[in-house]
Amino acid sequence: MTNVRNQALIPSFQRPTSRVLIRRAASYEQELGTLIYESLVEFVLPVKGKVVLLKPNLVGLDPLGVMNTHPAVIAATRESFLRLGASQVLIGDGPAMDRDTEAILESVRLREFAGPLARTFVDLNVDDVERVPLPTRASRLKELYFPKTVLGADLVVSMPKLKTHHWAGVTLSLKNMFGVVPGSCYGWPKNVLHWAGIDNAILDINAAVKPDFAIVDGIVGMEGNGPIQGTPKACGALIFGDDPVAVDATCCRVMGLMPERIKYLAAAGTMLGHLKADKIQQVGETVASLKSNFAVVAEFARLRQAA
Amino acid sequence: MDIAPAEELASVAMESIPDTSFAENFCVSFLRQAQNSDGGWGFRPDATSRAEPTCWALKALIAVGAAEHSDAEAILRGLNFLTAGQLPDGSWPATPEEKNGCWVTSLACWVLASSGDGKYSKAIGDGLRWVCDDWPRDSSPWRRWLRKLSSSGRHSKQNDALRGWGWTPGTSSWVEPTAFALLALESQPAIALPGNAEERRKLGEALLYDRMCPGGGWNCGNPEVYGVAGEPLVIPTTWALLALRRHPERSENIESLAWMEKNFAHIKGPGSYALARICLSGYGCKRNEDGPGAGDYHAKNESLQSVEAAAWTSLAARDTNKWLPGASVKR
Repeated sequence: MTNVRNQALIPSFQRPTSRVLIRRAASYEQELGTLIYESLVEFVLPVKGKVVLLKPNLVGLDPLGVMNTHPAVIAATRESFLRLGASQVLIGDGPAMDRDTEAILESVRLREFAGPLARTFVDLNVDDVERVPLPTRASRLKELYFPKTVLGADLVVSMPKLKTHHWAGVTLSLKNMFGVVPGSCYGWPKNVLHWAGIDNAILDINAAVKPDFAIVDGIVGMEGNGPIQGTPKACGALIFGDDPVAVDATCCRVMGLMPERIKYLAAAGTMLGHLKADKIQQVGETVASLKSNFAVVAEFARLRQAA
Repeated sequence: MDIAPAEELASVAMESIPDTSFAENFCVSFLRQAQNSDGGWGFRPDATSRAEPTCWALKALIAVGAAEHSDAEAILRGLNFLTAGQLPDGSWPATPEEKNGCWVTSLACWVLASSGDGKYSKAIGDGLRWVCDDWPRDSSPWRRWLRKLSSSGRHSKQNDALRGWGWTPGTSSWVEPTAFALLALESQPAIALPGNAEERRKLGEALLYDRMCPGGGWNCGNPEVYGVAGEPLVIPTTWALLALRRHPERSENIESLAWMEKNFAHIKGPGSYALARICLSGYGCKRNEDGPGAGDYHAKNESLQSVEAAAWTSLAARDTNKWLPGASVKR
């Protein structure tokens, strides 16, 4: 399998305006398939005959369904991409804290929603790997091993949950890409990334993998001491976009946080996508209509927007 | 290769198959078939051979016992793959193209020691020297001073003077790599160990106890963050308890074992199920035979394509005292 993700980086100032779509979704019980399919159609994604990899945020055992991307969202997205003509839609993640990925899949009940996973789910922690020189030098890491499934996918879709994070401020589509770094090379947790600096590692990983699309599960998010021990926060939103930086910036605004004050997002806004609101074409629901102030740990109080 | 797909397993009445039969009929034969032509194993059939899954597959096949002569050649080819992957500094890398060693070194030394063949003593000695010289970076005096000033230092309770082992060199101590290093050291007679092995062992054990979650059990190594107790997990708890088997009377061991027994019925994955059985057996605990067995977990989770899960299931069906280092524990 070859690395199809090694296209050149386009600096933000050379990028056209990005588009972010916010859709209202009150609960996981509602019919999400049509909503997600119609949202994807608006972006005219080149998926016909292509291999799509969905990268949800599967952090750990989650019997209450509050810390991981909800399986209803993952399954509906998979169906939607198949309906759009993708030849194969894989789901893959490499949980950071627990190497028993099977147990995590069972605890989130992904099979109940997405069907048998034997030929659909890839445990990115133990996938075959390829060494990739990092195109950026945000951290001191010069290279990283990445799963071949990620490098060989035609379209990588980051599917995080809308959450605050006690070390990084927020964990959205960019931070979610930590999960593509294989535990079999770097351990559980992937501590080498912490030593490289979480903010800088997020930039390097996203510059190397270049996720093509983001869908954020904000139907119920998490506030406070996320990504694991926070409090569920109903927000009623699904957020879509083909610029993950713009999607994350929009999510921050929905959470009542200032994206410019999140270190890695501010840097990503110069090299990976658009951060500024005037470079993001907002469609669907407005930020104001779904805005819900998320609590953050004391260290990140400065991220809050003025009342 | 497509071995024993989930549909095939699901068609068998797994609840009627005892764990030992399942391990022998499905897991061991799966491991035999999943060996690559280079002698190693990947994490899944047809995946690139790597040191870690090769270690687990070898550990399982070696534990099958000397009576199974049919495995002798497969084991030898596996051991040859493993020794060929040792780096000049004595360590093993996580993937063949990597030039830096990592935690897998402990596992490789432990497996080579289980072979019982003296010809690997130099490889083991070189590996254990690397292990004993590999100090985590977080516990240096400079780092400890920096951490006191940082927010992460203020929000997690841990004794930073204790030093175990990290997953990769130059990072922090974590529970599982520390446990594997302790098991590797335990697998060799004291006379064959590097001079600082005893100091490392004491520090490593102390670190494990320090990182235990409140109420018993371990997760990756974060017992408490922002005043919230960490949730223990089966896999790190298993390895920590097995690495601390020489202290069965300590309250932390008893508490953690109680956590494991209490949570056994709620285990979700076949890998965790197998390791929990190994852990309980390693402490001489009798397992309640009610509830799902190994075959149910594998069929339900479609995971018989996992070399690790198959190897652990196979090991769980063996007498742990025959393949775990250290004295047996009776309860």
